[in-house]
Amino acid sequence: MNEILLSSEVIVYLLSEALLYLLLFIAAIATLGILKGWNFDRFTKRQFDLENRSYLVMSIIFFVLGLKMLLLPYFAYTIDALSLLVPGAMCAAGVIDANDYGSPLLLLKIIILFLSGLWLGINRLDLEEKHYPYMKLKSWFYLLLFILLSAEIVLDILYFTHIETTNPVSCCSVIFGEIGGNSLPLGLDIPKLLILFYLLYALLVLIVFTGHYLVRIAASLFFAMIAYYSVVYFFGTYIYELPTHRCPFCMMQAEYRYIGYLLWGLLFTGTFLAIESAVMEGIFGRDALKLKKISIGFLTLFVLLCSSYVGLYYLKNGVLL
Amino acid sequence: MIRIEDVGKRFGEGENLFEALKSITLEVEEGECVILSGISGSGKSTLLSLIAALDRPSSGKIVVEGELVSKLPDLHASAYRAKTIGVIFQHFNLIESLSVEENVIVPLINSGLDMPAIRKMAEQSMQRASILHKASQDVASLSGGEKQRCAIARALVNDPKVILCDEPTANLDRENSLRFIDTIQKLNQAGKTIVIATHDPLFEALPFESRVIHMADGMIGKHGE
Amino acid sequence: MLSRSPFLHFLTLLLFKQKSKHLGIMSISVVMIALVSAVLFISSSLQQTLQDTLDEQADFTVTRIEAGRPVSTPLAWADRIIEIEGVSQVAPRIHGRYFYAPREESFLVVGIDFFDEQGSKALESLVKGIDLKQFFAEESMIVGEGVKAFLQKHYYKDTFSFKTPRGQFKKVKIYEVLPGSLNLLANDMIIMPIGLAREIFGLKEDEVTDITFNVPNDAEWDNVIGKLHLVDYEIRVVEKREVEKAYENLYNYKGGIFLILYIIALLTLMLILYQRYAMVYSHERKEIGILRAVGWSIRDILKLKFYETMILVMSSFVIGTVAAYGYVFVLGAPILIEIFLGGANLENQVQMIPEVSFGTLGSLFLLYAVPFFAAVLIPSWRVAVIPPKEAMR
Repeated sequence: MNEILLSSEVIVYLLSEALLYLLLFIAAIATLGILKGWNFDRFTKRQFDLENRSYLVMSIIFFVLGLKMLLLPYFAYTIDALSLLVPGAMCAAGVIDANDYGSPLLLLKIIILFLSGLWLGINRLDLEEKHYPYMKLKSWFYLLLFILLSAEIVLDILYFTHIETTNPVSCCSVIFGEIGGNSLPLGLDIPKLLILFYLLYALLVLIVFTGHYLVRIAASLFFAMIAYYSVVYFFGTYIYELPTHRCPFCMMQAEYRYIGYLLWGLLFTGTFLAIESAVMEGIFGRDALKLKKISIGFLTLFVLLCSSYVGLYYLKNGVLL
Repeated sequence: MIRIEDVGKRFGEGENLFEALKSITLEVEEGECVILSGISGSGKSTLLSLIAALDRPSSGKIVVEGELVSKLPDLHASAYRAKTIGVIFQHFNLIESLSVEENVIVPLINSGLDMPAIRKMAEQSMQRASILHKASQDVASLSGGEKQRCAIARALVNDPKVILCDEPTANLDRENSLRFIDTIQKLNQAGKTIVIATHDPLFEALPFESRVIHMADGMIGKHGE
Repeated sequence: MLSRSPFLHFLTLLLFKQKSKHLGIMSISVVMIALVSAVLFISSSLQQTLQDTLDEQADFTVTRIEAGRPVSTPLAWADRIIEIEGVSQVAPRIHGRYFYAPREESFLVVGIDFFDEQGSKALESLVKGIDLKQFFAEESMIVGEGVKAFLQKHYYKDTFSFKTPRGQFKKVKIYEVLPGSLNLLANDMIIMPIGLAREIFGLKEDEVTDITFNVPNDAEWDNVIGKLHLVDYEIRVVEKREVEKAYENLYNYKGGIFLILYIIALLTLMLILYQRYAMVYSHERKEIGILRAVGWSIRDILKLKFYETMILVMSSFVIGTVAAYGYVFVLGAPILIEIFLGGANLENQVQMIPEVSFGTLGSLFLLYAVPFFAAVLIPSWRVAVIPPKEAMR
């Protein structure tokens, strides 16, 4: 345990998270005050102060979101660096599996990024109006977010204090391999998975400008999930040029030119913007053409990047894996 | 143009309660020049800052150009200031470490215009305020009259419909004060709506059409005169 | 670019015209960044050097122990280890610390076998470029830089007299000095023919210090360990991965301790920053009041403050890391290096191999930028929301 907590990446990571949490805590208290005292019809100094205080809340959330966007890849980097200390781990996959907190933590981080991005979207709408129509909504939303953020910091601490450096863990080839690892969902096999992957992408492009917003949200999420499996079980093997190497993390290593960060970054932002544009249009009745265009751009880049690995491999070797 | 309805402004609470404005109702037409006169503490300066949406009234309504400005969130209040209002303050309120031109462009920085366009507007404005010859000089080295003209250039740079002046001649000698009145006359002729809060007797008899409103104890006295 | 965006234009204007305001914070930050970068650079460079060296080490080392005390290992074991499936490059070694009693210093004496030189991968890289044939022809030794310097200091010009356990003196000539780039490991090392080493340590003909060998297939490792214990119950097996981890931990640990000290310093910086930004000078307050009065929103002011901080952070980060790079990799990190090499024998002059990864830089940036922004955020907001009329007063 000590060895883990003394590695510089972990110290930096936990310190950053703790500081951010302190700010978030201040924002939560300010939000509670806003919820209690908010009345825009009143002319009091108190109301004026609360309006000013809402700027503190949004500054904090803006700043924290910006840093969490840096901290997510840094988290991946940290656990990848730890794989040297944890026996058996060849990359982050083994370390994240070193205890029961790792995977929920990672999932929670992604959800939090999604939700805080959405929060900033609502906040922007709120500021554009002349009477803060969404003040209550965004305050409650933030409190919900804060509960998740609290869970995140607790998981952060639990996770890093419970990595054993004596017990060997599995490496990615075991976790994602055919033997005993979790296999594809919905009883899919690789060809069906790929058909679904490209079909869903085509569907997204088609409906993003016309479809109902709920359908778009569902399609985006489903695409993200299928894309994840496609990368791990199919496209990844072309990045590694090894049919048995299935891992979402190894591609973030220097050996593969850190392509994983770009790949997952594109998928994440593309999906997020697709969902945000749907929410903005469907729930708040705003025009989100720009968001939609960027989201499709990102997802298209993602699909092209994935496919290019297969294409290049075929061009180089004349066969597929 | 400017409609003030039953506006009150209170500062503090309980024993410290101070009523700066008591139920003010006033209307200013487009292109009009209104002089708010009265001793200091009569509430004229407070009324100006309410019109500029620099502060909010405790009661009542202020409507400028059809927009309710008495209850605007900050983002809109500042946009309104940047677009509709030009303010000239008693103490000029210039950023001392910057040059004249750099001070004049401040209101346009967030306007969405690009730098060449901003420079051009600043030049025109400095020309109007006859301070163009000192454009690159640091504000700290200017005389009182020059600072005043720099402040005017800044107030005009966004081509505002309404110009608000708070004790504009308090820190000027007689010559510069007359020069200021001259400038105001030109602006008024150009169709600007002007509201001046002052206790300078020079403004009691202006060489052009204006309306003097006396204020005392946060209330409006007799009109006209 | 700068002249196209009015906001950036104005931002740089303010920064340049008021640079004296930021100079103090800037210089403290640069020093802190330089310090912590230097520490992380040193530790990752040392780790890299160690890793490179360890990569060349044999996978396993076995020695004989009697009642837990290491004693000389019978040469006969080597033959039995060769017979284990999957084992290759078995090499008996003679090495050990030779204590120079008068100065309480010690050298690491390593004996190499001319005929078995293939077997010892690690030594191969050390003696690269040295004519071994001639070296073996006479009783001579190859020494590390530290040893050479030490001997010079004590008036041993070209030879050194070892005292064997039998009480005789053995005069050995210095044949070569190892290059300085190997100093991390070879600083206090003396390489000599195996026979000579055996004589100096007083070992019998059929005895060695230990036996090393490789097992190329990782999966076989646990299997091989099991079989080794069947060779003799007095056998002790050391795996390379254990050594690797021990070193990794050591440098992590030293880096970590330092990091914790640094964090304390960082908290102080945060306090200074908070103070500095909370205690807003009247002219600064007035400035923000003016900006808001002429149409800047709270959001614009916050943006201005954010970018201002960003530029401060970025520039001090770049200056600090570049300075640290020069200090560590050009000047060789005088003084600080002692923290890492402290406790080592003989005076060591390690040459740093430039090794800076994105990860290290990322860590540094987060470590510095997060507290900086966090400390400045609340005071900045507080100034930004002061009602303009009040601020201009």
